[in-house]
Amino acid sequence: MGLSEKEECVLLDQKLLVFMDQLELLEEKRERLNSLIEQGWFSMSKARYSMGNKQVSALQYGSEMEPLVRVHTRTLESGEAEFQTKRRTLKSPEERQVEDIGPKDKEGVRRRVKTQEVPEIDQSDNKHPWTETEPAPSSKPEPNPQQDPLKWFGILVPQTLKQAQASFKQVVELSAEVATLQSAVLTTRQQLQMKQKSSSQNPDLTD
Amino acid sequence: MAGRGKLIAVIGDEDTCTGFLLGGIGELNKNRKPNFLVVEKETSIAEIEETFKSFLTRNDIGIILINQFIAEMIRHAIDQHMESIPAVLEIPSKEHPYDASKDSILRRAKGMFSAEDFR
Repeated sequence: MGLSEKEECVLLDQKLLVFMDQLELLEEKRERLNSLIEQGWFSMSKARYSMGNKQVSALQYGSEMEPLVRVHTRTLESGEAEFQTKRRTLKSPEERQVEDIGPKDKEGVRRRVKTQEVPEIDQSDNKHPWTETEPAPSSKPEPNPQQDPLKWFGILVPQTLKQAQASFKQVVELSAEVATLQSAVLTTRQQLQMKQKSSSQNPDLTD
Repeated sequence: MAGRGKLIAVIGDEDTCTGFLLGGIGELNKNRKPNFLVVEKETSIAEIEETFKSFLTRNDIGIILINQFIAEMIRHAIDQHMESIPAVLEIPSKEHPYDASKDSILRRAKGMFSAEDFR
């Protein structure tokens, strides 16, 4: 037994109210998102002013990057999509190996080679390309792609650049919320259209 | 929501890309293509559209952030995208503030109403 005319109208009105609420919330979140982005740019401009124009630009981007934040998606039965960000925490200084900036022990550039210890190297022997004076490739530390992007711009960066990073981190979190709301708005719109179509096909439902 | 998670891509001017990369969304290594495009004055519309379409076909991108003035250049491609994933978010740029009347999603959402619907 289908719903009565009155119940159909009530459902339609409720759906419409939900749609309006979602639109209002979406616009609020959008405003907050745009405001945070502008705040981030302002902080970046201040950092650029103190560091120099070229110091905060695409020229400083790392050659390798790994994302520190990812978004998890889920599609509901209604077709609506949900987005949730998850940020990876960088390793604490205790967990990270202490970066040895100075010359390594095995680096032979400055090491005086003791002739009695070094075996004679046969020029025709290509089996041992690495001598004691040259470091083995595995001893060189590989660049860590999980590095904080702030480090691309120098070791000591101004507070304004850190503020810019904090603003954009918030923007990323908010983007997921806005994306979820957008999907909800479009799904509700679709449902409303379907209900309106079915009610227009049934002339008894219209007053 | 299990698994590794998807990436957030960005198509924007230098400031926009720098900001979001600072936020930690960037991926760039020898094997994979980057998940961002820095749009400069010399960047052609064809390149922007190609990058946008390539982001849509990648199954590891969940959200695409794009400056609204750049979205205007490839509006036809954005309007054709009907799937919920990846989500496309239009964001302002320094020289072009956000205009809700130009946003594809809001136009689709608000455009459903006509005078007939309220009778």
